[in-house]
Amino acid sequence: MQQLDNQEILMKLKSSKQFWDIKKKLKQGLGDQQKIGVNDIQKFAQSCEIEDQLTKLISHILRKSKKRESLKEDQIEFLNTSKIKWTELLFKNLDIVHQKTKNQEEDDTNTDSKLYIYDEKNLLAFLQTFKQQQQSIALYQNVQFQSNKLLNVNIPLKSSQSILDKYQYLLLQEELQDDKINKIRKQIENEHIDIELEKIAQTFVPNGERCLLYLKYFEFDHQETVLQQNFAKLQKECSNQLFYDELLEIDGHEISEDTFYFVFQEQILTCLKCFIRDRTIKENIRIQLQNGVKKEHAEFQLPVTGFFPFKNISKYVAPLCYLSTKIHIIYALFKEFFCRYFCFLHAISSENNSILSLCMQIEEIVSTRSPKLFHHLKVIGCDTLKLIIHQLVYCFIGDMDPPHILTIYDSIIGHDSLEILVILCVGFLNKYKPKLLLAKNQENVQQIFSELREDRFQELVQFAYKQ
Amino acid sequence: MSEYFRKYIKKEHYANHYSNLKFKTSFRNCILEAFKRRLWKETEGDDWDIMWAEKEWIHEVLDHTHLQANQKINHFRNHYELTRKDLMIKNFKRYKKNLEREGKSEEANNYNFFPLTFHLPSEYPIFFEEFKRQSTNSDTKTAWIMKPIGKSQGKGIFIFNKIQQISQWKNTLRYSQDNPQAEAYIVQKYIADPLLIGGKKFDMRIYLLCTSYQPLTLYLYRTGFARFTHHRYDSEDISNTYVHLTNVAIQKTSDNYDEKLGGKWNLQTLKLYLMTKYGQEKVAETFYNIQMLMIRSLQAVQKIIINDKHCFELYGFDILLDAQLKPWLLEVNASPSMTSNTPVDFELKCGLLDDVFTIIDLEKVLTGNEEQIGGFDLICKGTPVKLPINSTFTTYLGAFNNRQQQLKKIAKSTAIRLAQTYSEGQMKAIEIGSKGQKEKEEKDKQMRSSSKGPQAMQNGSSLNNKSNNLTKQNTIMKRNTANLPALGTLQNKSNLKRQPLQNAGQQQQIQQSQSNSSKKNNPNEDSMLSANQKLQKLTQESKINQFQPYKQQSQYNEVMGMGAGSRNLQKNEE
Repeated sequence: MQQLDNQEILMKLKSSKQFWDIKKKLKQGLGDQQKIGVNDIQKFAQSCEIEDQLTKLISHILRKSKKRESLKEDQIEFLNTSKIKWTELLFKNLDIVHQKTKNQEEDDTNTDSKLYIYDEKNLLAFLQTFKQQQQSIALYQNVQFQSNKLLNVNIPLKSSQSILDKYQYLLLQEELQDDKINKIRKQIENEHIDIELEKIAQTFVPNGERCLLYLKYFEFDHQETVLQQNFAKLQKECSNQLFYDELLEIDGHEISEDTFYFVFQEQILTCLKCFIRDRTIKENIRIQLQNGVKKEHAEFQLPVTGFFPFKNISKYVAPLCYLSTKIHIIYALFKEFFCRYFCFLHAISSENNSILSLCMQIEEIVSTRSPKLFHHLKVIGCDTLKLIIHQLVYCFIGDMDPPHILTIYDSIIGHDSLEILVILCVGFLNKYKPKLLLAKNQENVQQIFSELREDRFQELVQFAYKQ
Repeated sequence: MSEYFRKYIKKEHYANHYSNLKFKTSFRNCILEAFKRRLWKETEGDDWDIMWAEKEWIHEVLDHTHLQANQKINHFRNHYELTRKDLMIKNFKRYKKNLEREGKSEEANNYNFFPLTFHLPSEYPIFFEEFKRQSTNSDTKTAWIMKPIGKSQGKGIFIFNKIQQISQWKNTLRYSQDNPQAEAYIVQKYIADPLLIGGKKFDMRIYLLCTSYQPLTLYLYRTGFARFTHHRYDSEDISNTYVHLTNVAIQKTSDNYDEKLGGKWNLQTLKLYLMTKYGQEKVAETFYNIQMLMIRSLQAVQKIIINDKHCFELYGFDILLDAQLKPWLLEVNASPSMTSNTPVDFELKCGLLDDVFTIIDLEKVLTGNEEQIGGFDLICKGTPVKLPINSTFTTYLGAFNNRQQQLKKIAKSTAIRLAQTYSEGQMKAIEIGSKGQKEKEEKDKQMRSSSKGPQAMQNGSSLNNKSNNLTKQNTIMKRNTANLPALGTLQNKSNLKRQPLQNAGQQQQIQQSQSNSSKKNNPNEDSMLSANQKLQKLTQESKINQFQPYKQQSQYNEVMGMGAGSRNLQKNEE
């Protein structure tokens, strides 16, 4: 664990706007006195809560300076065993994919089947097997266990109401005037403390300043040369072909079908190829996605990242291409976003941000706030979660235009959490509620979502709070 | 007609109902679809209200055709002054010189948006000097681009940096038997530092509608697109056209061309991308410069293009941004492609055309003062339109295209206005009707007092009845010409106006009876009559039963006694 010395803490403090505000306040408060002693300052600071603010700020700096270790074990044993099962399943899938690619090489005409180790539907299907398993455990333990929800696992959940309350402020967001935007711009330029940057990201980030804000938040702002060097090293390694490269290429081809991102196909592929070769990911990632089971062939082992590349992994890189023309910056941002947040979307865990808890929160909100829709979907045999799983796992990338996606990214940084996706998914279901209520079977439902549609961030937020 | 107009405006409130309108076109792409969506009828004959013609048709036929007052066509007679590569540059250079001569050096300096250009073979010696000068001045070899004048879609274009490459080209053409004369080309200094996105070169296609050159009336479409090359840009590899040319026609033949995608970006996407790199102000400035570039291009040819109220033109501007975000005009297309390669593209083009037709306003429902119609914003009416000072936009180019909402709004307000004028018109008609009744009664009294006998009285009264009917019809026609609301006889008016010669027989009857009944009241009518009689004679002599256009404008003018119109035309030609 890394520790900061006093000098470093002071340096960090000085880069915060709040520190200077406190200093200004102190100066104003003590301005009239001729001789100022330490006691005077202490007294004054105590009287107007400056001391509290300062301690909070210092403790925040200390907390953030600690390196977060990757979560390997879950507090619920059941999930730990599930994770191993999931990994075994993926190894099997890998075998199938490997076989398929071999067959394709032999038979060029058969190029229809798309190759990937797993996609979001596989993941959801796996999560949904938990319910049955849990029920049997619950019965065994003599616990009453009844639920009409598709997913129900005994994990500590944050109340859905608290999530709704937390993001309610988004409803009142207004378009900002030019002078306010300029003010925010200056703030981003001058601020270094992440808590302050989070505050800005929660409300509004001007397009031109987004990249700077992200870089500052991830503390990359003075490390461009380091980033560049690291990336160059990884690029060199790319000359050694891996089996996974082929899968990434197929995946990259899919992203090239998206109007917004086709231009960046090459960059995206380069980033991903470097990503699966990056050894630092295993230590930086906040949660371990799969539990490695070693196989004989080196080719069939997990990549150095500790997890398998999955279908549509390119989607997470794509919107970041709008932030910078420099590929090493795009890569650095993608790496941070994945290691801090997106990894949870693929993690079988009881953590707050994990796909499991997000899914359960969505089900909870929909079943309590739109029971009619929830019931209707159940009657026609359509899975509520299946409707939104794609949007949830891929943060609406491909469903919304890049500006809206970047707003989602802002919000993720702003709250250091993926909960915004719960709000958006609920809004998404509510938006199509009238149509969904008219649907008589799964085909009807599929038809609704196959039509050309346009979803927007603000619009979905509005829908989420509509009763 | 956009569906909102059909939804909100009542049938009787139309000055010219959409079901009466006919179109003619040889195109079978988005143009036909856009016409059909307005529920206009297709015609093969000459009774069209709007024609979307090919450029060749304009050159061959339009000069020998007389158009009816309400007929609209999609090109100006000499549009090539702007849309042919060599003439465009010539006109820009001339306009720039004129400005300098007039002492407007500041404005003249703004004409810096086209690369250094020479016409070949006529300006070959000057070009050669310039080539030598450029080669000696710079370390790297300057690249030049050769474009054949009369070709489109990137055909015949090549890039070179050695003079041998062009002398070879010259020799092969000069000595080939098939080409007795070297084909005319323009040679331009190649913009070697274009802005690259994802390592790829792109240019922008932006749509500008000109409805009049006097006063210069321009509408700019918010949505345009950026067209990407499918290969990484490499300034060294000058022989690979896939790297350098963005034309869809060229890129389509590339191996890695994706049909579903079309290699295009919406301007909105481009703007967002640029903002992240260059910031909001710089991008806003760039897009404003693009708008001004387009206005300046048309101002340069304003006095050269023959203005004609029948004509409108939808230009496709091809604009390139260099690494410093300076816009360069590559070319202006008079017939921008209306063929779509993706469903999104199809909807964009149909929407664009629909808005063009709304602005042309064949239904005569708009006031002509609208600042935004669908996705089009008025950017120039005589002088460039200035946006309000507190506006956050410098131009709406690349802004969110709110055409659906805007059309809904404009259709609603138009419906209300038309309903008001309609009811006002009806009120007036009632007043006029009651006045007419009184006059008639007075006349009847006079007649009775000066009766000369039963027979004469009978004749007189029958004549009177006829004339009364006729005056009634006349009043309606007059009201209609003044664009006042219709009284149910609108159909007659539009038919009469559109096909005067088809109704020649009918008109003759009317005019004869008019001359019999009210000759004294209308002394001016003699001249009118003689013109119409001449017209009839002409049709009878040449045994034309159906409408056929006059071969010469002057002939028609003489017959119709329309000196003023022809004068206007001649003035422009000068």
